[in-house]
Amino acid sequence: MRNKQVVAMLLAGGQGSRLGLLTRVTAKPAVPFGGRYRIIDFPLSNCANSGIDTVGVLTQYQPLELNSYIGSGASWDLDLTDGGVFVLPPYVQGSEGRWYSGTADAIYQNLAFIDQYSPRYVLILSGDHIYKMDYSAMLDYHIRQQADITIAVRPVPWEEAPSFGIMNTKEDGRIFEFEEKPKKPKSNLASMGVYIFTYSQLKKYLVEDHADPNSHNDFGKNIIPTMLKDDKRLYAYSFNGYWKDVGTIHSLWEAHMDLLKNPPEVDLNDKRWPIYAKSPVMPPHFVGEKGKVENSLLTEGCQVYGQVSGSVLASGVIVEEGAVVRDSAIMPDCVIKSGAVVERAIIAEQCVIGENCRVGESEGDIALIGNGTNLKPFTIVKAGQQANEETLGGGETV
Amino acid sequence: MKDVVGVIYTARDEFSMRELASNRSVSALPVAGRYRLVDFMLSNLVNSSIRKVGVMMQGNYHSLMDHLGSGKEWNLHTRNNGLYLLIPYRSGDEGYQGILDAFKDNMEFLRRSGQEYVLIVGGRLIYNTTYDELVDLHMETGADVSLMYTRFDPVNGEYSRFSDSVRAFINVDESRRVTDIEINPNVITCPNVLMDVVLIKRTLLMHMVDMAASHGYHDLYSTIIRNAVYDKTLKVVGLEFKGYCRRMETVNSFYNLNMDLLRPEIRHELFDINPVYTKTRNDAPAKYLPGSQVSSSLVADGCVIEGDVSGSVLFRGVRVSKGAKISGSIIMQDCFIGENVELENVILDKDVTVLSGARLIAPRRYPIVLGKNVTI
Repeated sequence: MRNKQVVAMLLAGGQGSRLGLLTRVTAKPAVPFGGRYRIIDFPLSNCANSGIDTVGVLTQYQPLELNSYIGSGASWDLDLTDGGVFVLPPYVQGSEGRWYSGTADAIYQNLAFIDQYSPRYVLILSGDHIYKMDYSAMLDYHIRQQADITIAVRPVPWEEAPSFGIMNTKEDGRIFEFEEKPKKPKSNLASMGVYIFTYSQLKKYLVEDHADPNSHNDFGKNIIPTMLKDDKRLYAYSFNGYWKDVGTIHSLWEAHMDLLKNPPEVDLNDKRWPIYAKSPVMPPHFVGEKGKVENSLLTEGCQVYGQVSGSVLASGVIVEEGAVVRDSAIMPDCVIKSGAVVERAIIAEQCVIGENCRVGESEGDIALIGNGTNLKPFTIVKAGQQANEETLGGGETV
Repeated sequence: MKDVVGVIYTARDEFSMRELASNRSVSALPVAGRYRLVDFMLSNLVNSSIRKVGVMMQGNYHSLMDHLGSGKEWNLHTRNNGLYLLIPYRSGDEGYQGILDAFKDNMEFLRRSGQEYVLIVGGRLIYNTTYDELVDLHMETGADVSLMYTRFDPVNGEYSRFSDSVRAFINVDESRRVTDIEINPNVITCPNVLMDVVLIKRTLLMHMVDMAASHGYHDLYSTIIRNAVYDKTLKVVGLEFKGYCRRMETVNSFYNLNMDLLRPEIRHELFDINPVYTKTRNDAPAKYLPGSQVSSSLVADGCVIEGDVSGSVLFRGVRVSKGAKISGSIIMQDCFIGENVELENVILDKDVTVLSGARLIAPRRYPIVLGKNVTI
């Protein structure tokens, strides 16, 4: 196999339990986002646009939807004769087979995959952020600094710094200290979970980490602190663009609202940095005679006969006459029946919100309806409540 | 997989379509917000499990080539069979005088196709179906030639005997055998009109093409098939298609098709029965800004709307500025509509810019057409 300068490894195996019902049957990177995308479209498109053509996607939790979404990788122009996108589930080696025990272990178990390409560098990504980033510029920086590992960081508001992994750097960007969720942060540079390793160093540290029975096999907890202790060359690469963690229901909702700003925080129509997605094979959306749409994003296959404002509707969503959708994100193939009001809510894929239901409230936390829920007419789902067919005891009926 | 090779005979540039088809084949006409006419034919073939399709091009075929590419979107980028773009290397700019000329130029394609049957599909119609029933009928009746037709609709039929294209009307008896055939008649006496869909044994077609070359025939219907119907030398049968079907012949037929798409039952017939595949662009979802007013309209991805739109079709990437009012119009991809512009019953081809304050108002029976890349 031809050598590659860089191979990307995308960690997509996390359970994403903070997303509650959304990730009950879907791995977090496969969660729909922004009307026609899924979260994983962002790192994959970034790879394609950065000229990185070999990507391993490490999965283990609810992989079916993710696997079928990735398919041959053609949607991101990653179906190549040499390289491409590969789904890497845990597998049996020798007589042993086991799950990935941590982020570092996931990469360790796939060293054989990386070795096939003999790369000089390995880019490690996670599948839970919305951002557009040129990884090739970060790689140039890594090479220029002769770093062993470069960690992408971005400045966060000081008051939020205690909830992040913070990098303390010298003037030239070299990291001298890493603090996970410091009470008194010395810097506001938070790790984005994007790393570039010089492969020889990555391999050495992963092998050592694997041999240590006390390790959590985690990049943040083990690999990076150990490399710091060994006085390796760790550098911080500053990224100033839009970056949004969508690991919680609230932040996922906020990221949708960010798309509605004018101009949007992250431009999805930028021809020089397209975000690719699998096409749903549906006709353009239709707004009916009495439909009213304001300050919203609509995509192929939607049909709006009711009122939609401040919302993002994914493909195939139908809003019936007399239904109201306000400040919400509706995922693919949902039907909002007549008389229903959906407000400050996320509705997961393939739900039916019955006639005259009330989902969410104008204030308070975001309401969530889980995948495939058929909400009976007149059901009430309050702010902050999560509902699917099993939990529906929680929903009151008028 | 069927033992059938599909061939799409793409329509020529058409005078009666005005600017819309002056630089592109009618088959490459953009329709329904994100499609080209040929997408429907290709999808129909693919949805009928036909895995080898040749597209016979003529005239200015650049936009068709660009659209079809490797055939990936229609799942025709396979190792065996797949999509074949058949370029008019002999006929030059003139185009073919008839479909038999096109086959004569592409005999090698016919010869090398291993399939038993050829399904010929005309490229200026729009409908959504599979050809499964036609293939079944062909086998059951032991026909030599099987045709698809619809009842002629004098209101929406858009029939003009002055058109460049061949219109064939037929009569069918109870056994479904074609008993009469009229070509471009002055007065129509047969109740059915052909949909330019012909199923025939490949070897028989090759024989016909040879015969046509030696007799100076160009068109299939007015010569060989008509003779065969009258002489009863071949068994010609017909299958009625009862769904929505339109033929793109004039600007009005194109306009009416797009307006029909604003009706849910028509969209259902054209899009829900079988999937329609097309080349995708990576446009973001359409964005409705505060103050936009949209009703009874079909809107594709990539649009940004700040003004009023009603009873219209907006293709991908159209920008409608503040205060603009668009009604009864078809706006093709990447057009820019400036502030306070008023458009009524207008067809804008791709990349048209209408600067602030302009007003274009036409009667519905004669929509204004602006060609590609125009700025007004």
